[in-house]
Amino acid sequence: MVTKNFGEISFEPDTELEFPGGLPGFDGRRRFVAVRLAESDPLIYLQSLEDADLCFITMPILAVDPLYKLKVSAEDLDLLGLPQARQPRIGEDVMCLTVLSVRETGLTANLLAPIVVNLRNRKAVQAVASESEYSHQFVLMPQEASVCS
Amino acid sequence: MLVMSRRQGETILIGDDIEIVIAHIGRSRVKVGIRAPRQMPVVACEMKLVREENLAAAGTAASDLSRLVARLHPPG
Repeated sequence: MVTKNFGEISFEPDTELEFPGGLPGFDGRRRFVAVRLAESDPLIYLQSLEDADLCFITMPILAVDPLYKLKVSAEDLDLLGLPQARQPRIGEDVMCLTVLSVRETGLTANLLAPIVVNLRNRKAVQAVASESEYSHQFVLMPQEASVCS
Repeated sequence: MLVMSRRQGETILIGDDIEIVIAHIGRSRVKVGIRAPRQMPVVACEMKLVREENLAAAGTAASDLSRLVARLHPPG
């Protein structure tokens, strides 16, 4: 397909990610691919397969916070096809990405609602951690470089 | 903001067709039942934040980021 950011891309059908519940604000967008480019590592682009202009820029959440505690609701575990008995482990059961935004205040990461992908069936959700203390606008890089003293 | 004191099982009405029931009061959480017309969206506030954040994130162009990536990987 032809995308806004990457021009024409091709992908293997078995690398497609399916968001059975869509994403908040984009409920109808369910099919995405994860695009990784060597020159922009560790960024991972989530490109919609239904809307060439829709692309989220993400990175592995552990790269932002190595101690991130993932908490997925029972409902989201169901959507992922994972057992409710325990929380999934990042890297073993699931891939966990944080969505990045560039805003006036700098680059922020949404730690409140990570993208969680079941590594076995490639089903994905944006898991809103409603009882967590994590910020939806965690500042990664302030716009003005801070002065180190 | 209007603040009302309610016990477990008691109800608050908003207008004619929205009913809020204090279903259960735990140590640090309350369970709230909401009866509202089907067309009225009822979501936790975090959901609204995430929706707005996604809309902002979707507007982030890859070109904005390449500039930032350059800072993630300083030359040398």
